[in-house]
Amino acid sequence: MHLILGHTQDACCADVLFRLRKRGLRARLVPAPLEPPGRLFWQLDSNGLTTRLTFDDGPAEEIESVFVRSTGWLDPNGWEPADHAYMQSETHAALLACLAGLPCPVINRASAALWYRPRNSFAGWLPLLRRCGLPAPEMVLTDDPEEARAFGRRLEAAGVPGVVCTSLTQHTAWLVGPADWDGLAAVQARTPVCLSEPHGPALAACVVGRRVIWNGRPGSSAAALEPRLLRLAAEAGLDFLEVAVAPVRRGTAVVLVEPLPQLEHFGPSARAGMVDSLIGLLTGKPNAVRVPQEAHA
Amino acid sequence: MILVAGGIADSVTELVCARLAACDYAYRLLDLGSYPVNHGMAVRWKGGRPEGRVSGPEWELDLDEISGVFVRFLGPEGRLTVPDLPPVTAAAAQAEADTALIALFEDLACPVVNRLGGGMSNNSKPYQALLLVRAGFQVPPTLVTSDPDAVRAFHAEHGEVIYKSASGVRSIVRRLGPEQLARLHLLRNGPAQFQAFIPGDNVRVHTVGDELFATRVKSDAVDYRYARRDGLSVEMEPAELPRAVARACLRIARELDLLHVGIDLKQTPDGEWFCFEVNPCPGFVFYERQTGQPISLALAELLYRGNAALPERTEEAAMN
Repeated sequence: MHLILGHTQDACCADVLFRLRKRGLRARLVPAPLEPPGRLFWQLDSNGLTTRLTFDDGPAEEIESVFVRSTGWLDPNGWEPADHAYMQSETHAALLACLAGLPCPVINRASAALWYRPRNSFAGWLPLLRRCGLPAPEMVLTDDPEEARAFGRRLEAAGVPGVVCTSLTQHTAWLVGPADWDGLAAVQARTPVCLSEPHGPALAACVVGRRVIWNGRPGSSAAALEPRLLRLAAEAGLDFLEVAVAPVRRGTAVVLVEPLPQLEHFGPSARAGMVDSLIGLLTGKPNAVRVPQEAHA
Repeated sequence: MILVAGGIADSVTELVCARLAACDYAYRLLDLGSYPVNHGMAVRWKGGRPEGRVSGPEWELDLDEISGVFVRFLGPEGRLTVPDLPPVTAAAAQAEADTALIALFEDLACPVVNRLGGGMSNNSKPYQALLLVRAGFQVPPTLVTSDPDAVRAFHAEHGEVIYKSASGVRSIVRRLGPEQLARLHLLRNGPAQFQAFIPGDNVRVHTVGDELFATRVKSDAVDYRYARRDGLSVEMEPAELPRAVARACLRIARELDLLHVGIDLKQTPDGEWFCFEVNPCPGFVFYERQTGQPISLALAELLYRGNAALPERTEEAAMN
């Protein structure tokens, strides 16, 4: 059985489920695999690791692949809040270990670092981007209003209007224009802000296994980044990774890293290519058990 | 210059600061109890490592000056909230400020004790057990399950079984007895972790860079951290590790990219060694005070010497 951990509202889950079933393969979409009546058996001893997952009262089925899109949020109904929080932590921990030890293809088989910090800010990816030789836009983290304005002036002198203020904890960003500096300073009185140089039109790309799928035709400078994008995915331990590249003052830079790619960000042709490649990975030969490298994630 | 980021009421941070002062190694305290209030940050990324400065109430530090960072993040109870904001907005501002600090620490060129990423494995004990096995440790037979029958079979096979949290939520290790066996049907609500009880002495190993400090803990308690609560005694003394175990300790710390960890081991009466977990934020004060092992001194030296303190060393020379 091919297992998809996620929701029907997620286009990626729906498309992969449809394609697996269209091939005549047994596939199942499960939002929270460890929630009753789901049952987990995970045993590590001198005989090695044994993992069994069942989703109803029947016997355990062999899992041929897992496509991971959610980490299994337990329904809080019927729980005291403190008990729910504890059980959510326990279930989350158990599922990570379960996925890490499965001998079949698991996409993405997350490291603990990624499992527990799925919304790592773009700033958090900078060390890995640099290690892979991938440029990023110039960025400033500061709670000093004068430092922020100086950054804006430097960009303006280079012909770039405004700066982009990006939340480090949410997927939100604002363009800071000439009228916004006082408002930004008010925010900076409470917390440092993350500012980056604005970029030109972004082109999304998705790494799926050893393939880079562009959402359109990449220019030569973007295409030249392909080997480094593959390295980025490999070093992050990810088989499925969305990025976006865009022109900045000093050339082409990576402006987005998203370990949970969204099909909606891509046109029909790229989407088809992504799902094709995913199906290929999920139905490929089983890998040896591969626990992600923590230090690289 | 050394940067210490932590709470002044935290005993580990307090000891590190005291040791740095005793060594006459200059440091600045970024007080996480009040941060971001009264602190400053101006950091730029222009294609390379971060450049810029961080500041506190009466100090300012260029990032280039920092030889090492010691950081112990605090829980919400140890912190002042950002003033003049509704609670939700204040929490959001604090989260933004913390994430900014984490992003900075993750990318500094100097040693950081510890960067956050490698410590995340401690949130899943069974996941960490897979890493421990790969590093060369023997781990206790472990079962994570929501199936009561599986627990009964495991109990029948191993006789004495303990249970504890699988996640990073702190829990007291307890024996699985008749009372718990009678409540196993509740397991259908979600998985729990069970382990074969391993008899013997607990040995806690602290790594500092490539140095190891092993402490033998003698106690009849199942969980010696809570021995006194249960009216039992705890005695500690420096211990020696077999070479293979010492090597595995250094390997797991390196694999997790952590410069300072606490590793929980047990040596059985037959001389076998088992590893239970790696703590990325160890409270070593208890062990140092009981044995006099110079853990805080090793930390002070590492932070002072910076990257020069981290060349490859032979594992034999690293034993303490």
